[in-house]
Amino acid sequence: MSLLAPFNKLPTLNTASILLVESEEKFQQSLAVALVEEMTVTVNVRLARTLPLPLENDESRPRIDLVVFIINLTSDLSFRSAKASLKYLDPGYFLGKVCFMATNARHASVHTGLLDAVRQLAVSLHCPLLFAEDQTPEDVKSSARRLLTILKVASGLVPNTSALFLSNLTRCTMPLDIDQPSFD
Amino acid sequence: MDDPAKFLLRRLVRRIPAQMLKATLEKWGRLNAEQRESLNFSQSKWALTQELEALCEESRLTVKHIAELEMIYITENPNQMMWHAFQLLDPEDGALAVELMQFKELFKCHLRELVRNVSVKIKKHTDEAVWIRMSWGEGFSRLSHLNATYVVHYLQTPYVFVSGLSPKNKPLLLQVLTLSTKHERIKDANLSGRKLTAIRDLLLRQYEHVFPTKYPSPLTERNQSVSNLHTEKEQAEASAKRHQMAGQAFGNGVLPALQSAVYKLETKFKDPTNQTMTEQDEPFRCVVKFSSTNLLESLRHCASSGIASTPVAPLLSSIPLKGRNYFVITDKSPSANS
Repeated sequence: MSLLAPFNKLPTLNTASILLVESEEKFQQSLAVALVEEMTVTVNVRLARTLPLPLENDESRPRIDLVVFIINLTSDLSFRSAKASLKYLDPGYFLGKVCFMATNARHASVHTGLLDAVRQLAVSLHCPLLFAEDQTPEDVKSSARRLLTILKVASGLVPNTSALFLSNLTRCTMPLDIDQPSFD
Repeated sequence: MDDPAKFLLRRLVRRIPAQMLKATLEKWGRLNAEQRESLNFSQSKWALTQELEALCEESRLTVKHIAELEMIYITENPNQMMWHAFQLLDPEDGALAVELMQFKELFKCHLRELVRNVSVKIKKHTDEAVWIRMSWGEGFSRLSHLNATYVVHYLQTPYVFVSGLSPKNKPLLLQVLTLSTKHERIKDANLSGRKLTAIRDLLLRQYEHVFPTKYPSPLTERNQSVSNLHTEKEQAEASAKRHQMAGQAFGNGVLPALQSAVYKLETKFKDPTNQTMTEQDEPFRCVVKFSSTNLLESLRHCASSGIASTPVAPLLSSIPLKGRNYFVITDKSPSANS
């Protein structure tokens, strides 16, 4: 079983590579267009539906600095597919190089159980959980900007910080009221 | 104008939406230009009906003429009624050569032999379809024009579409159709829906097909959504293969807007975790109904985005392949049977 490993390739100068994993394959395309517009750094974007990635692309693929799982909160299938893809990642990625992005959180048909489950997953893996909207171009641009901030740190382009340091600040935590036992 | 005519007219004016009423009356041609000018289409439907009734009295129109008007409206807007498809089988020698006049004569002749009290009107529509409107009467009583049966047949194809047929008159009509098209048998095609255009396109296979090829042509040209040098799709091949298989099963481009599919299951319950249900000997009866504004489009999207596994399951792909949307599934043959 081939795991995607974080450090088994050499990095390229002034380049950052990001892998967007989304089972619906919609938001990732508009995000890719917004990410590539960044001028100061060359951003390589790879799009996938699930992991594992096909072996044929292994040589041509750059070293992936950040893996983003895009979960649509209105669809149970996207959550399950993201969860199933997690086991194909080398554990080294979970030290700040994985991020979860949840979309459609404001939608009326969101299951509260699903939101809690996504939060639980992010907490157990010590990863940040971002909430994004994909409806208008401005929303897509702001989501891309937030991802770029994390991406630049994860690819080592920001001096005096590393992905592990940043993840201590940005990782998802369960709000205290959920953890507290209820007083009846 | 007698009561049935008035009643039919009132119901018809209620049914036809205001924007189409003017055009339909023009096409009808039974009212002359000045009568049509005198109608005020901006008033309420009730007032309009009264005016129309008065005009029809003037021109001494009968229920037959109103029935004509109904037929014109339905021919232009067939997508409001429930249509059922039938298939003619075992053509005799002259079946392919039956053309309009011959069909009309044979139909009327056979109908007279079987039923006495029925009124028939046959018309040829612009797109090669023959439309038949029939009003049945009970025994010796007067004809009731209110619940008319409509039949659409495309000459030289073995398909007939029927709407508004009561179970009592069904065997009669089916026999007449079989005889007048020179076939031996007729069977239910298990296809029904509201949109006549959709079920017709599905049966006559008038949508863009995708044929299986061993070397699919440039896949890269199809998915041009990400065309940047720095962006790349990792699983492009798998995704293109899914697209190809989904296209093969359902077709390309715009698909006929089929709106529902019904699967009636009569199979034994199979779930290893539930012992009590699996022990039952009788089959577990269950009906699964899919409905959508465009069912084939959504099934194709399910297959191409990976929600439904590819190659497409025969239960789903037999909807466009066999042209039916009602399936009964039993244990002996897991694929659809009639």
